[in-house]
Amino acid sequence: MRTRGAILLATVVTGLALGFTVANIGFGDYAELNRMFTFQDLRMFLSFAGAVVIIVCAFAVLRVRRTPERIHGGVVPGAVLFGTGWAISGGCPAIPIVQVAGGYLPALVTIAGIVVGVRLCRWANARYFHVDRGSCAL
Amino acid sequence: MTTYWPWWAGAVGLALVTVYHALATDRSFGVSSAWDRVVHWRRERRLERMDEEFADDRALAEALAAATAEHFGPGPSPVRQHPYGQPGTLRVDVEPPAGDRPAATSGRPAPLFTQAALLISVFVGGLIAAVTSGRFELRLDMGPGFRSLVTADPVWMTVLLFAGGVLVGFGTRLAGGCSSGHGLNGCGRLRPVSILATAVFFGTAVAVSFLLWKVI
Repeated sequence: MRTRGAILLATVVTGLALGFTVANIGFGDYAELNRMFTFQDLRMFLSFAGAVVIIVCAFAVLRVRRTPERIHGGVVPGAVLFGTGWAISGGCPAIPIVQVAGGYLPALVTIAGIVVGVRLCRWANARYFHVDRGSCAL
Repeated sequence: MTTYWPWWAGAVGLALVTVYHALATDRSFGVSSAWDRVVHWRRERRLERMDEEFADDRALAEALAAATAEHFGPGPSPVRQHPYGQPGTLRVDVEPPAGDRPAATSGRPAPLFTQAALLISVFVGGLIAAVTSGRFELRLDMGPGFRSLVTADPVWMTVLLFAGGVLVGFGTRLAGGCSSGHGLNGCGRLRPVSILATAVFFGTAVAVSFLLWKVI
């Protein structure tokens, strides 16, 4: 049984390590990001893909349980919108935080946009889409 | 600038974070989901309180029994064969919630406070990285890359960052995850929905980045 305190502590460690790693890989650097997405520099792409390969192997060895989630109607349109936003602003939801931490103050505007977008999605989903993302949406 | 980590160090770092979190908490972590719950903290807190009231199964069973008694009147247990009623419908009404409960709680996401802590610690981690590597610099632009590829005009920069942020916030929640939730945790678990989402958002970002680089 994992207590709330243990989960909180583990999440803080995860957050610290994630922020530290993502910043040192260079995901907060817009020029590096564009070079990754246009395949001019494969360094960051290989970091991400390499991580996925290691995680797949580790989870298989450790038999980490899988939570089934079906493919719903929001996945493809949502991913298209996210990809567009990421390429323009340079922010997947963690990166503007890392950018502000690195001194890029305009990333606060990206964060404001994310807050509005997240609110808008919950509102629009309840009102128009009615996409059931399951009880364990990531 | 060559002060960034080599690719293998980044891969090992991201993998360690994800595997550590899965082992320590038995959960996936997702930054977009943390945003979603922190932004809607009022409603989330209300839901958590309601959840705590039904925290143990016994309380839930008693509440269900009380509700059943209130609805059908006190009498024989609904599960027992009913001489004149329709036992099948009663059984269907009463039994599933009690049976569903353990499955629903085991996949429950981390509490709201923990999600807020994730976002704050990402900030602190990023700050430590920026200061220790000597990259920290307060600035009012997004760097030379953004200036040459997107725009140098501060007004346009603000508009585009905000619009991009809205697309990121809306899109990640509609897709049910972002590069950490779907990309690392989901793909690592080989979940089809995550592999599809990652392929689509990465593909779209590649297309838009080429447009910004070559066309605009």
